[in-house]
Amino acid sequence: MKLERSKDWWLNRARREGDAVIGAGLLAFDPAPEERSATAPAEDSRIAFGKFVNLMRRRRGLSMEQLADAAEVDASELLVIEDDVHHRPEPRTIYRLAQTFEVSQRRLMQLAGLTAANDVGLRQEAVRFAARSESVQKLTSEESAALEAFVAVLSEQEPKRVK
Amino acid sequence: MTAKRTMTLNLTDAEMRALDDLSVRKDITKTAVLRQALRLYQTIEARVEKGDKLLFENDATKEKAELMFL
Amino acid sequence: MTTEISVIHLLDVATGEGVEGELRDAIEQAQLNDWQREWQPALLAVLQDLARRGVPIGQWPQSWHWDWGKKTARVQGLLAFRGFSVVAQGVTQGLAQIDLTKAGREPSQAGKPLVYLDYIEVAPWNRPELGRPPRLRGVGSALLTAAVALSDEEGFKGRIGLHSLPQADAFYARIGMTDLGQDAAYQNLRYFEMTAARAQAFLGQE
Repeated sequence: MKLERSKDWWLNRARREGDAVIGAGLLAFDPAPEERSATAPAEDSRIAFGKFVNLMRRRRGLSMEQLADAAEVDASELLVIEDDVHHRPEPRTIYRLAQTFEVSQRRLMQLAGLTAANDVGLRQEAVRFAARSESVQKLTSEESAALEAFVAVLSEQEPKRVK
Repeated sequence: MTAKRTMTLNLTDAEMRALDDLSVRKDITKTAVLRQALRLYQTIEARVEKGDKLLFENDATKEKAELMFL
Repeated sequence: MTTEISVIHLLDVATGEGVEGELRDAIEQAQLNDWQREWQPALLAVLQDLARRGVPIGQWPQSWHWDWGKKTARVQGLLAFRGFSVVAQGVTQGLAQIDLTKAGREPSQAGKPLVYLDYIEVAPWNRPELGRPPRLRGVGSALLTAAVALSDEEGFKGRIGLHSLPQADAFYARIGMTDLGQDAAYQNLRYFEMTAARAQAFLGQE
């Protein structure tokens, strides 16, 4: 298809557009996360989830883009996971992160609030972890210790599976 | 405009009437009706190939009827 | 099918000068590469900035989460789906995908085929809502013009329809599209249609 219009015709269109936003389509639309999570968010454990991803990433010295590449997930989703407690991550993202960080996928799903945790233990650990870690540029020894302890919780309490 | 080729179609009177009727109802030329028909047929075929079913649902009765392809 | 290229002109916001660009009647590998290598990092930088400034995620720009690669792969080889892209300054500035199987809803053209804009997206650096001055203006208008012109060429008399992003509602109303209200089947996005009569005026207007 070929369009033939003068330079002025196009420039008039561009001027008329002003600062208007132009976008369309259902897939273009990202509903506000508040609407996305209809179920009551387990916020305290999700705070821990965001911090966990943040600390694990920094411990490996990775930028968000590098972790996104390594785990084959969307960098923008990582950003939201680390910063927004209301966000409900995609199950596939959790799966990829569990693989990348070598922790239990089931535990991570519970932590992210995608499946219900049926033991209070994980919840308490998550709250303790969240309370001990603060989001700063460099991992403090305090944070490292908190992270180590939490990784242990996330890894070891998984019932042994027969392959 | 993308180059187009011409072909002759042999249609019965009834088919011609259906084409005329669609052309009026849809407010498009007869050529446009046939091109649209081709697009829809190809789209449906691709979906059926993937394992999807083509269903019609009556809005009032919620009755479903499957349209068979192939 | 070979891609046809129309010369168009966009407005460089910083200098106020015209910039020559191409309107291409396809989305090709080069566009997908640009989306991946240029658009995504630019968008991420904006999102990181918003996150740092503590802007609530509800106020973040829409369309930060799409995947053009997947979308174009899904409709590969199908006659009913067409793409447009705008290229200028050596990079893809905007993309649109079109579905030709949909029909009108506005009373004067209900049931009649139209060009449905499945997606439109403008490159992050051209989007005023991201809080930085846009680089080029006119990309979205060029894509809409292409859609109306395609509708005309296909014999659909310029009829087009689309589900608007909430931030874009005002623009579609301003160019004379009919607002047919929120569509419950499309996450309550507003559905807009351009009538045949309106389309002719839109394509003309020197």
